[in-house]
Amino acid sequence: MTFNAAALLLLIAGLALIGWIAGRQRSNLLAGRAGTKLHSRPQYHGWYVALWLFAPAALFLAVWSSVSPGLITNQVLASEAAQSLPSFGFERGAILSDARSVALGQQEAVRLPAAAPLVQPYADAAHKYAWIGIAAMLALALAGGLYAFTRIKPDFRARTRVERIVMAVLLVASLVAILTTFGIVLSLLFESIRFFQLVSPAELLFGTNWAPTSGAPVDDTFGGIPLFWGTVLIGAIIAMIVAIPIGMMTAVYLTQYAAPVVRRWVKPILEILAGVPTVVYGYFAALTVAPALREFAVMLGIPNASTESALAAGIVMGVMIIPFVSSMADDSINAVPQAMRDGSLALGATPNETIRQVLIPAALPGVMGGILLAVSRAIGETMIVVMAAGLSANLTANPFASVTTVTAQIVKLLTGDQEFDSAKTLAAFALGLVLFIVTLLLNIAALRIVKKYREAYE
Amino acid sequence: MNRNTAPTDWKSAAMQKRIAGRYAAERRFKFIGLGAVLLSGAFLAFLLFVMVGNGARGFTYTNVAVPIDFKAMPLTVDKARLGDADADQVIANAGLADIVAFAADEALGDGGSELISENAWKEVRSAIKADPALLDRETVFELPADSAVDIMAKEGARGALGAKVDALEKDGKLSTGIHWPFFKNADATDPAVAGIWGALKGSVLTIFIAFLIAFPTGVLAALYLEEYAAKNRWTDLIEVSINNLAAVPSIIFGLLALAVFINWFGICQASPLVGGLTLALMTMPVIVIASRNAIKSVPPSIRDAALGVGASPVQVVFHHVLPLALPGILTGTIIGMARALGETAPLLLIGMRAFIGDVPGGVCSPSTVLPMQIFLWSDEVDRGFVEKTSAAIIVLLIVLLSMNAFAIYLRNKFEKRW
Repeated sequence: MTFNAAALLLLIAGLALIGWIAGRQRSNLLAGRAGTKLHSRPQYHGWYVALWLFAPAALFLAVWSSVSPGLITNQVLASEAAQSLPSFGFERGAILSDARSVALGQQEAVRLPAAAPLVQPYADAAHKYAWIGIAAMLALALAGGLYAFTRIKPDFRARTRVERIVMAVLLVASLVAILTTFGIVLSLLFESIRFFQLVSPAELLFGTNWAPTSGAPVDDTFGGIPLFWGTVLIGAIIAMIVAIPIGMMTAVYLTQYAAPVVRRWVKPILEILAGVPTVVYGYFAALTVAPALREFAVMLGIPNASTESALAAGIVMGVMIIPFVSSMADDSINAVPQAMRDGSLALGATPNETIRQVLIPAALPGVMGGILLAVSRAIGETMIVVMAAGLSANLTANPFASVTTVTAQIVKLLTGDQEFDSAKTLAAFALGLVLFIVTLLLNIAALRIVKKYREAYE
Repeated sequence: MNRNTAPTDWKSAAMQKRIAGRYAAERRFKFIGLGAVLLSGAFLAFLLFVMVGNGARGFTYTNVAVPIDFKAMPLTVDKARLGDADADQVIANAGLADIVAFAADEALGDGGSELISENAWKEVRSAIKADPALLDRETVFELPADSAVDIMAKEGARGALGAKVDALEKDGKLSTGIHWPFFKNADATDPAVAGIWGALKGSVLTIFIAFLIAFPTGVLAALYLEEYAAKNRWTDLIEVSINNLAAVPSIIFGLLALAVFINWFGICQASPLVGGLTLALMTMPVIVIASRNAIKSVPPSIRDAALGVGASPVQVVFHHVLPLALPGILTGTIIGMARALGETAPLLLIGMRAFIGDVPGGVCSPSTVLPMQIFLWSDEVDRGFVEKTSAAIIVLLIVLLSMNAFAIYLRNKFEKRW
């Protein structure tokens, strides 16, 4: 007998359904009597009963499933078998979790011999608290349901009450976004502060040597400049050299020259480029593009050409970004008033002169906003650089060399077998904080520019 | 302004030349535009071509015909136990692997057992379980070849092993068939039996959890913001956070999940549950933005009419606005879910990169997802995994493209101009 939250949730949902039917039935009966008129329609009475049945019990379930493991552990620790446990630390935790896995049936036999005598107390305690929890939950559900059921009267304002709850649910749903933002900021900040207690922020931001190997801050150097340079080289330079001209010209062609039929077909096809998973691009870059570029570099006689190159990652990332640039450019070119275009054409300018000297300058703020968003996306991109750009921190301007980026290092730092408290893992959060702040600033700048520009023609 | 200049002589040679130059520039510009479109299209085509070219072979596999005579080499198992739950263990203990290796040596010459996959005996085992009568006679089994043999049979033979493969081919002992284990198995170290079913199921569970959380939350948040929220500092804050969240790099969500879900709450690591929660936070802003646009496009006259006949504001929204906006909301949701399905980076951080040899049993069991399987296979040294990787990419792309196509179909079918 274990405490299965999903099954219990289903159980109270079932009870709530019964409550809904009962409440509806009851109000129907009341309505059937001569001379009575319900304030709310029957289903609202049903909803009222169902909500009273479900909400307190579900709340209790949430609290109980986070509290009960602690209670169970306390009882196990109070038992005789636990007296011989090592007093504190990692070993004690390992023995306890081993015993827990066996007692809950997740594991067939104990791995640590010391855990064996704890299995039975664990199973007993889990059993006891599971029954206490289920009993309390059912009692709450029934009490809530009965209370609501007895309140059903013809003039009871069930709809008003149900709607108030619905509004509260809507408000809570929209607060999730704020909660997530806070969660991101707090978790990044919290771990980064722990990192900065070991390593100074100045070293991370201005140091030029990145070599975290052992996990201890004394032996490692956490100089972030090579990573930041690698990120800029791939995401903001190489990728944009590919994406901006192609994206802009694509947008110009599709808005100004292409027949509507062509546009209708080509646009979604190009948008597939943005929908291809990045791991596929990464594989493609590592397997096909990088070796080809290396051959090319060797042919040109470039020394230390690597199979993992900034160029391969940057080019492929640029292709991925094309649809972003082109659809932003597309929107802002379309937003330029037709009168400006017609005026330029009427003065005798060719379409290409109109585009270059009237449309693009007028659309430039929007295009700039799109490019900033694209840069922000490119520097946050992970899989392509992990798979194709390499992991060696190099401060080089040679695009054929292997460089590394912030995101690739975050992945590298967090996928080893490190303890969670080491400087190495904490460094990943500090890098994440830097990345978050930079992309946030880019996004805000982009949105500002776009917004300001949109107002200009309205 | 000087009004005394002579009118432009359009017919003059200089002017004609200038006009011709401008027209040429026009043609060049148009041509460059067309070139840009074609270049992006060509890149996409090249990508797909390479993946299909590499991956198509991943769906087939070379089999070697090996006759096994169970009369000569009896497998001593109690046939009554073949239906039991521990039948696999019983057969393995009886030494089937050795019998198969011996039969391969007999049939294919010295070292023949190295030409078939080391897991080939498992195929024989499932055949025996399906039909115990096989144990009484000689049967020719089509067993999966060793990965190196498979590659040579597909790409052309080289070296000493190549000579053996050629000889087998000449004897007609090689055959190619659809590689069912690829669709039925989970990850394995041997490319002959490694499959995507485990990852596919992990993906489905993960996306299901993400949808279960992100869809209601996103739609309700959008309804609140669009229909009820007063314009004040709080709703501005909500709006700004939603817009920013939509543009936060996905790996940041991985860091959040690692710090909050795994280290604070201790939710089962590397499971579809944690993965789904992470992807839900990531897709929720996308769903909110798409839903708000859909809700915005429902004309106010419908709300006014409903209010006019006495509906409450909640009834207006849930009885009228939401059903009308639903196609648009679903379109946005499907696109958001397709993006989440292809996402790898945040899941790397929450431990989903571990080698998982089993098909996940539930939402809390360790599992991997399809993009992660692609990433893991792309790192494998064994050459047999190259075509597996591309084949898995084809499967992923087919799933994603059909989701996107469905979203477009939905949009076209329900598109309404009021």
